[in-house]
Amino acid sequence: MINPLPTVRAEWRRSRAGASAVVVLIGLAVALGVAVTAQERGLRTGSARAADSFDLVVGARGSATQLVLTTVYLQSGLLELVPGSVLTSLQAEPGVAYVAPLVFGDSYAGLPVVGSTADLVTLGGTRPLAQGRVFVSDREVVVGADVLLSLGASFAAVHGSPTLRSEPPGDAAVHSGFDYVVVGRMPRLGSPWDRAIVAPVEALWRVHARPRGHGSDSEDRIGPPWGADVSGVSAIVVKPRSVADAYRLRARYRDERTMAVFPAEVLVELYALVGDARAALSLIALATQTLVVAAVLLTMLAALAERRRLLAVLRALGASRTYVFAAVWSYVSLLVAAGAVLGLVIGWCAALGFSTLLRARTGLALPVGLSGHEVAMAGALVIVGAALALIPAGLSYRQPVAAGLKS
Amino acid sequence: MLDLRWLRVAAGESVGVTGPSGSGKTSLLNVLTGLDRPERGEIRWGEQEIWRLPEGQRDRWRCRTVGFIFQEFNLFLTLSPLDNVLLPASFRHLTPSRALRGRAQELLEQVGLGGRREPVALLSRGETQRVAVARALLFAPPVVVADEPTASLDVEAAGAVVDLLLSIRQRTNSTLVVVSHDRNLLDRLDRVEMLVNGQIVEPALATAW
Repeated sequence: MINPLPTVRAEWRRSRAGASAVVVLIGLAVALGVAVTAQERGLRTGSARAADSFDLVVGARGSATQLVLTTVYLQSGLLELVPGSVLTSLQAEPGVAYVAPLVFGDSYAGLPVVGSTADLVTLGGTRPLAQGRVFVSDREVVVGADVLLSLGASFAAVHGSPTLRSEPPGDAAVHSGFDYVVVGRMPRLGSPWDRAIVAPVEALWRVHARPRGHGSDSEDRIGPPWGADVSGVSAIVVKPRSVADAYRLRARYRDERTMAVFPAEVLVELYALVGDARAALSLIALATQTLVVAAVLLTMLAALAERRRLLAVLRALGASRTYVFAAVWSYVSLLVAAGAVLGLVIGWCAALGFSTLLRARTGLALPVGLSGHEVAMAGALVIVGAALALIPAGLSYRQPVAAGLKS
Repeated sequence: MLDLRWLRVAAGESVGVTGPSGSGKTSLLNVLTGLDRPERGEIRWGEQEIWRLPEGQRDRWRCRTVGFIFQEFNLFLTLSPLDNVLLPASFRHLTPSRALRGRAQELLEQVGLGGRREPVALLSRGETQRVAVARALLFAPPVVVADEPTASLDVEAAGAVVDLLLSIRQRTNSTLVVVSHDRNLLDRLDRVEMLVNGQIVEPALATAW
C-alpha cells in the first residue's frame, strides 16, 4: 500500500508560501459565496422572526413596504395618519383579539419612543416581561432589552424621530414637565424593538395636545376602548382571532383611505428582490471560484515543469507511476480542500461580522450559521478541484523518467 | 547510441565509469537500472530479464535492488535527514515498520549524522550527500549506483563520501557502479571503464573484458 503523504508534506513545506497563497485565494473565493448565502438566509430568518408578532398592520393608504419597515423594523419614514375612526371601528370588530395603535414621533437618546398599548408589549398577555410590569399610567414606559435605562429611571422625551431629525434637539423640542418612569423591560426579541421605548399611546397624545378618546372626565385612563374623539395614529397592529378573520379584516380595511397588510406577505416580496440579488452575487462568487481554481490549475501545471526532476528522482528511487500520480493529485486536491475549509470559516466569520454590524445599527438580529447548502457548495468545489487535479497528476504519470532526470 | 555489448558487472564488484561529457555515462546508469529501455539486448538481474517484468514489478525491483546516489543529492531540503531516508518506505508502505525506522536511524549513525534533526537545508553539502547515501541504502540494495557523487563536494567532503561508500560496500558486499570524473574515487574502485561515444574503449582497464 503506497502512502504519498510524506511526499505531499515535503512538497507543502518546500513551497509553503506559494501553497499558502493558493489556499488563501481559494478560501477568499469560497468565503464570498458562503457569506452571501449565509447572510441572505440569516436576513430571511431574522426579518421573519421580527415580524412574527405583527399579524396584520393597518395604515393609511400608501406604500405597504414603508408601512412594514416603519412598524415592524422601526425604520423612520413619514406615514400618513390613520383616522381615529378606523381605530374605533377595528376595536369593535368581532374577529379581533386586540388592536394596538402605534404612534411615532418622539425619541429619547436616539431611541424611538413609540406610543401603543400593554397588549403590544405582552402580545395580549401571552408574552411576559423580562423585568418589572407593564405601564398602568401615561407617565410609565416599558423599554426594550437593549435600552440602557434601568427600572425606576426617569427621562423626558424629545419631539422627532431619531433618524429623521437632522439637528440635535433644542430646548424647545424637549417635552419638559412630562417625565416618564421605566417600569418594565421586554424580553429580547432580536428585532429593532429591543431598542425601543414603549409608552402608553395616550401619553404621546397628551404631550402633543391631541384628544385621547377617553372623554374629558377620564383624564388619566389609558388603553382601549377608545371613543369617537380619539386622535389619528401612525398605524394599527391587529391581532385577528383566526386566519379567516385575518383575511376578512385585510379585505375590509383595504379601501381608498386605508390599507391592511400581512407583514409576512410584504416580506415575501422583499425576499424576491433579495433573492435576485443573492442569485447575482452567487453567480459572481461561482465565477470567482472557477477563475481561482483555473488559476490554481495553471499554477500547478507551471509548477509541474519545475518538479519534473523531483518526480523523476522519486521514480528512480523506486516509486511507481501510481505513487507519483497519487502524490500530485493529493497535493493539488488537498490545497483545494484546505482552501474550501478556510473559505467556510472566513465566510461564516464575515457573515457573523455583518450580522453584528447590522444588529448594532438597527437592532435586527440575524441568526448566522452554516447550512448544508454552504457545505455542499464548498464540497462541490473540492470535487471540481479533485477532478481538475487529475490533469497535472496524469501528466506526471506519463512523464518519462530518464528525460526528467536530465531536466 | 550506447553500445554495451561487453559490459558485465559481477556481484560485489566496484566499477567506475568515466569518459567525456555526452559519452553516455548517465544513460548507462539509466539502462542498468531499468529507467531507459535498450533498443537491443537484455539487462539481466540473475536469470531475470528486467524489461520482461511488468512496470510495477520493475519499480519494485528497482526499489529493492538498486540504491541511487545523485550528484545534486535530490533530497527534500525541508525534511530532516531521517524523514528523507525514510521517504522511499512510503513507496511501498503506509507507515514504515519499526525495523525500517531502526535501520534508517542506524544508517544515519553510520554516516555520522545520527543525532541530526534539523532540515537537510541546514547541513553542509558533504553532510547532505551522506544523507543521500543513507537513503540509497535503506532497503539494503545489492547494487548501488552513483552518478558523480563527489562532483559537488570539496576535496575533504568528497574524500569522506568515498570512504563511506567503500566501507559500506565492503561491509555489505554490495555491487557499486560509479559514474565519475574524480580520479581519487576511481583509483579506489576494483576497475574502471572508459566510455567514449557510447562505447567502452579501454579494454585494458576492464578486467572482465
